[in-house]
Amino acid sequence: MSDVPAAAGPVGEPAGGRTLLSCDGLTVRRDGREVVRGVGLQLRAGEIVALLGPNGAGKSTLLEALVGALSTTAGRVERGGRIAIALQTSELARRTVLANVVLALAWWGVPRAQRAPRALQALRSLGAEHLADRQAGALSGGERRRVHLARILAAQPDVLLLDEPFAGLDAQARASLLEDAPAVLRSPERATLVVVHDRSEAWALADRLLIMIDGELVAAGPPRAVVERPPTPAVARFLGYDGSLRDAGMLVLTRPADVVLDPDGRLAGTVTRLTGLEDGTRLQIRLESGLVYAVGPVGGAGIGEPVRVSLRGGVRFPAIEDEPAASGE
Amino acid sequence: MRLIVDELRVALPLIFHGDPYLLSTLWFTVQVAAISTAAACAIGVPLGLALGLGRFRGRRTLHWLANAGLAVPPVLVGLWLFLLLTPGSVLGGLGLLATRRVVFIAQAVLAVPYVVALTAAAIQGLGGGLLSQARALGAGRRQVSLLALREARVGVIAAVIAALGATLSEVGAIIIVGGNVYGYNQTLASGALYEAQAARYADAVALGIVLSVLILVLLGTLGAVQHRGRGIRLRFRWTG
Repeated sequence: MSDVPAAAGPVGEPAGGRTLLSCDGLTVRRDGREVVRGVGLQLRAGEIVALLGPNGAGKSTLLEALVGALSTTAGRVERGGRIAIALQTSELARRTVLANVVLALAWWGVPRAQRAPRALQALRSLGAEHLADRQAGALSGGERRRVHLARILAAQPDVLLLDEPFAGLDAQARASLLEDAPAVLRSPERATLVVVHDRSEAWALADRLLIMIDGELVAAGPPRAVVERPPTPAVARFLGYDGSLRDAGMLVLTRPADVVLDPDGRLAGTVTRLTGLEDGTRLQIRLESGLVYAVGPVGGAGIGEPVRVSLRGGVRFPAIEDEPAASGE
Repeated sequence: MRLIVDELRVALPLIFHGDPYLLSTLWFTVQVAAISTAAACAIGVPLGLALGLGRFRGRRTLHWLANAGLAVPPVLVGLWLFLLLTPGSVLGGLGLLATRRVVFIAQAVLAVPYVVALTAAAIQGLGGGLLSQARALGAGRRQVSLLALREARVGVIAAVIAALGATLSEVGAIIIVGGNVYGYNQTLASGALYEAQAARYADAVALGIVLSVLILVLLGTLGAVQHRGRGIRLRFRWTG
């Protein structure tokens, strides 16, 4: 963990439970390319950790290496308990929901007599008990995800690895599952690492957030701290800091919420693009020293109109000469 | 048309009065179809599973051979078997030529490629997610194989249907190695050929009608099982 930039102070350190899974210097090659590079992390009992990164960052590969499904090129993995992984695909067998969960318990090695009660308990915890007798093929996407999660939770592993459990769901199903998931996933005896694609999923679920870019863990810490104090410009940009400008020799990266339209604002600029939002308009504003984005009212400033803005936030980094201040065009 | 009517007029009483030759040939055909298909499945299903699930050297070659086996003429299979089994050859000491047993063997050999190729194709057609998840949760090779077979059951039953069809209707191989001995090792198909060559068309027609009914009943039953789809219950025992 020590080589992973922490957002602030002790935030990169995991919470205080027993370490159930750790790796150090983990490197995995696939098709002649290093997909995971020198990753070190610890998972402790009782915590939920979210792993966030762009497509192709190596998140799924890391999970497969942690569970032992992939051989590693370098580094070591120490497992302090049984690990179960829920793969991204939620494909179920052609049988009833209950039979699917019971089948998963058979794979896990649970004695026959315990399977049905444990399966029903897991379905109940995910609000899917009413689906028990339904054929898997008749489930909606959201229901199938719940059953997929239930069959992994029923196994009661020491370490739970979830690969994008909300992928492919419509907004309503995703919101519903996201609402139920934290309570279901949290257990004092279990460590959970969940790969998420959307930042909001990390906020909803995790105690700690790991950011992975190009095969490397580049930031770690509580989600709020990571997003408020990203350690590098690359991490900041990935986390939604899409505006950038130079100010007093510093590179300032901003989110739309950090930029406020203000007639008395210190910075003058011109609106160069408008994008409609549900409850407002997103403005792209070209400043003398960069390019920022702000949210304004519907029917506000038009393209080409001069505006003034003030900054209410953002993150500052020492400016590097070849670091472009303006992006997005 | 008149010829057909005349032959049918002779053939139908043979069927309905239970001609002993026809009945014994029918019984032998059923035995050949059942045993040869079962043997082909016993050999072909594991091979098809290995081709569908496995990642090993020579897999593509085996797959290619299985697919090629679908196109090999039965006469050619019979010829190779004859050369292997003929006295003085590699397996000549077994004394199998012109026996009833060699008919079972020849039809099983013909049916194996159907089972292998179609089972492998059915397994490969499965989405990999379920099998990967099973492995990730600790399922052993046997559990993954049973899961794959159950999920691919429609395709696997199609393989059995194709194999059964081959054992019922192919005659090229069994005539060469079995000799098509009247009333001894004839199937309905080879018997019909025998009778037709002897210009006893009514007998050939009777055998042909019985064979057609047998094909319709057996393959129709399997087809019905296949198309029950989700309703089908293949009982595999899952062990923890």
